[in-house]
Amino acid sequence: MILRSVELENFGRFRGQTVEFRRGMNLVIGPNEAGKSTLAEAVPAVLFGSDRLEKFKPWGRNACNAALFFEGHGRTIQIKRNLVTDDVELVEKDDLYHVRAQFSGKVPLRGRSATCREYRDLLESLLGVSDDGLFRATYFFGHHPQEWSGDELAQKLRTLVSGTAEADYAEILDRFLEEHFALTRSNPWGRDKQRDREYEEVCEQLAQQGGAEAVPVFVELDNAAELAEQIETLSGELENDHQEYAKGLRYIERVRRQTEERAGTAAVAETPPSPPSPAASADSGPLAERLAAAGLPRNPPRELPELLSEAADIRQELATLQQPFAALASREKHVPQVPWVMLVSLVAALLVVAAVAWWQEFQFLRIAAVAAVCNGMLLGWGGWRQMARNKALAECDKERRRLDQKKHAAQQRQADLSERCETLGLPSSAIDLVRLQKQVAVHHDLLASFWSESGPPDVDVPASTDRGGTEVAEPDVPQAPDAAEASGEELALLEARMAEFEAELKRKDDRLQELKRQLAESPAGPSRQNVAPATKLLARKRDLEERIAVLRKAIDLLAEAVDEFGRSHLVRLNDEAGKLFAKITAGRYAALKLDENMAPSIQVDSRRWMSCENFSRGTVDAIYLALRVALAKVRNDGRSLPLMLDDPFVHLDQKRLATALNLVDLAAADGQLILFSHNIELGKRAARERWHVVPLDGDSVAARTEEGDEHVGQLHLL
Amino acid sequence: MTNLLGSSDIEALAREESVRGVLVRMALQQAERADREELVLLEKALALLLSRFQSMEDGAP
Repeated sequence: MILRSVELENFGRFRGQTVEFRRGMNLVIGPNEAGKSTLAEAVPAVLFGSDRLEKFKPWGRNACNAALFFEGHGRTIQIKRNLVTDDVELVEKDDLYHVRAQFSGKVPLRGRSATCREYRDLLESLLGVSDDGLFRATYFFGHHPQEWSGDELAQKLRTLVSGTAEADYAEILDRFLEEHFALTRSNPWGRDKQRDREYEEVCEQLAQQGGAEAVPVFVELDNAAELAEQIETLSGELENDHQEYAKGLRYIERVRRQTEERAGTAAVAETPPSPPSPAASADSGPLAERLAAAGLPRNPPRELPELLSEAADIRQELATLQQPFAALASREKHVPQVPWVMLVSLVAALLVVAAVAWWQEFQFLRIAAVAAVCNGMLLGWGGWRQMARNKALAECDKERRRLDQKKHAAQQRQADLSERCETLGLPSSAIDLVRLQKQVAVHHDLLASFWSESGPPDVDVPASTDRGGTEVAEPDVPQAPDAAEASGEELALLEARMAEFEAELKRKDDRLQELKRQLAESPAGPSRQNVAPATKLLARKRDLEERIAVLRKAIDLLAEAVDEFGRSHLVRLNDEAGKLFAKITAGRYAALKLDENMAPSIQVDSRRWMSCENFSRGTVDAIYLALRVALAKVRNDGRSLPLMLDDPFVHLDQKRLATALNLVDLAAADGQLILFSHNIELGKRAARERWHVVPLDGDSVAARTEEGDEHVGQLHLL
Repeated sequence: MTNLLGSSDIEALAREESVRGVLVRMALQQAERADREELVLLEKALALLLSRFQSMEDGAP
C-alpha cells in the first residue's frame, strides 16, 4: 500500500494544496519552516486524529481539513478528516471503482465510542495499524525516534511483526478460558475464584449422596451405579425384544396357515404330510451354529457364491471405469483452444492498416489486397482449428456417453443384486458383501457340508415332482405350486431369523440375570433410590472432566502456537535488523536483537549483549532506523504503510549517514519511503538517483509534483 | 495415528505458514510421543480448535 497523495486545506501553512508521492524513494526538501514537518504530521493526524489542533489550524480560521489517498493491490483508500470537528470519511474502492468499504463518523484521537472502534477496526483491516503510538513507533521516524518500550506497545508491536490478526486468536483463547472458567473454579492460569462452578457442585452433590465416607464410597457407588444402569438399559431392551419376538411368532403363524391353505388347494388331499424343511432342521443344528460363529448367515442360500462373485465382478467393473473417465477428462482438458482474441485483433489491425493506407492514399490497393489475403488465411486457419476442436470434443462427448451407459448398466446390476441379497436375507452393502466373500472363501468346506446336509436345492427339485416321482398334473391352477413353494421358502427364512432372534434373546436374558446377581452381591449397599441420581451425577462429572481436559489442552496448544509463531517472526525481524545495523555501523556491531518486551540490545562481542541505553544518540538512532526498515521488509501482508523519515539523520556522522542513506534507498525499492529533509546534499543525490522530489519553500508551498512534470523537482535542484 | 491426525487435510494445514499451521505441527509432534489416552485428548482439542478457527474465518460471532 503506498501513499499516493496528501490533500491539505487550511492545514498549517498549506491553504489548498495536493502533494503527490510515488512508489519507491520520495524526498520532500525545503528550508526550515517550509512545512515539511507539518506535511509529515498530516499523515498520522488524518489517520488517527490529533490533540495539537492549534498547531495546524491557521489563525483566524475555523477550518482545518486534510485527506490521504492510498493505493495498492487493486484498491484505493481515501481518508478525509476535518480536524476541527474530527469528522472522518473513509472509502475503499476496488480497481473498478466499486465501493468495498465505507465509514463516516466522528473519531477523535482518544475516542472510545462504538463509532471509534468501528473506524479503528476498519483501519486495522485495511492498513494494519489503527493506533497513533504504534504508527509513530514503526512507520514514522523523527528527530527523536520513539522507543519500543512499554507493555502495551510491545504487545502491539509483536502483533504487527507477526502480521496476523493476533487479536482474533486472543479472542479464541479468551473464549476457551471463559468456557473453562464457567465449568470449574480451579484452573492453571491463575484465575481461581472462591465461588464453586458446575464441576465443584457436581462433586459436592456426589459426596453428599455418598454420606460421610464421601471419597472412598465413590468407588463402590460407581460400580453399583453402573450395574444398576446396565440392568435398567438391558431390561428396557429385553422388553422391546420380547414384544418384537411375539409379533414375529404371530406373523409366522399367519404365513404358515396361508401356506397350508394354498397347499391344501393345490396338492392332492392324500399326499402325506411333508417332512420338516431340511433348511429348518439344519438351521437349529450344529452346522448352523458353526456358520453363525464364523460370521456367516445361519441358513446361507445355495446361490451365495454366485451372488458374491457377481458382486465382485460389478465392483471390479465400476473400478475399471474410473480410469477411462479420468483419461477422458484429461483429454477434454487438453483439447487446444482457438486463439480467437488474437486472431480478431490481427484482422482488426490489418483492416486499420488498410484504412490508413486508403486515407493517406498510399498504395491502397496493394496493401488492401495483402490485408485481405492475410485476413482470409488467419480466419481460415482459425475456422479449421475450431472445427478440429469441435470434432475432438464431440468424440469425447460420445465416449463419455458410452462410458456413462456402461456405468449406469453396472449400477443397475448392483441395485438388482442388492435387491436379491435383501430378499435372501443377506447384507446388501458393498462392505458387508466383501466381508462375506472373505468368510465364504475361508469357510468354504463348512458351507459345502451345510448344503450337502440340507439335501438337493429346492429350485432343482420342484415340490410338484418330489411326491413319489409322479408329476402331478394341475392344468386348472398352474400357479398354485409355485406360490406354495415361494411361501414355503419365505416361511423357512422367517423361521431361521426367528431362531436367531430367540438365541439373542436368551443371551440377553442370561446377561441380565448375571448383572442382577452381581448387583445383589455388591458390598456397597447404597439404597436403590440413590443409585439412579448418583449415576447421572457421575456421568455428568465425567463429561465435565473430559470437557475441562479438552479445553485445557486446546488452550495450551493455542497459547504455545501463538507464542511460537510470534517468536519465529521476531527471529526474522532480529535477523533483518541485525544485518542492517551491522551495515550502518560498518560491521562494528555484529547483531541486534529484541527481547520479549521488544527492547533492543546490541552484541558488543561474541558473548556480551548490551542494552541500547548505553550507547550514543547516533547509535540509538541507527538501531531504531534499522528496526523500522527491517519491519517494513518483514511485514509482507499487503497492508504496510510508507516509511516516513523526518530529518532522521541529524545525529549520524557522515560515514553512517552515507550508509544509512544507502539502506533507506534499498528499503524503498520494495515499498515506499518518504524522506523529509532540509539537507541540500540530499537534494543533489536525489537528482542523481532520480528520486521523486517534492520541493517546499518558505514562501510558497504550492504543489509542483503533478504527474506530468515529474522531473521538475530534480531540475529545480540541479 | 488417529483418523483426524492422519488425514490429508491435517497434512495440508501443517504446511501453512500461519498460527494454525504452527498449531497443527505442534499437535503432530505431540502425537508422535503420546499414548492412546493422550492421543484421544489431543485429537479432541485439535478438532475443537480447528472448528473455532473455521468459525472465525466464516465470521461467526
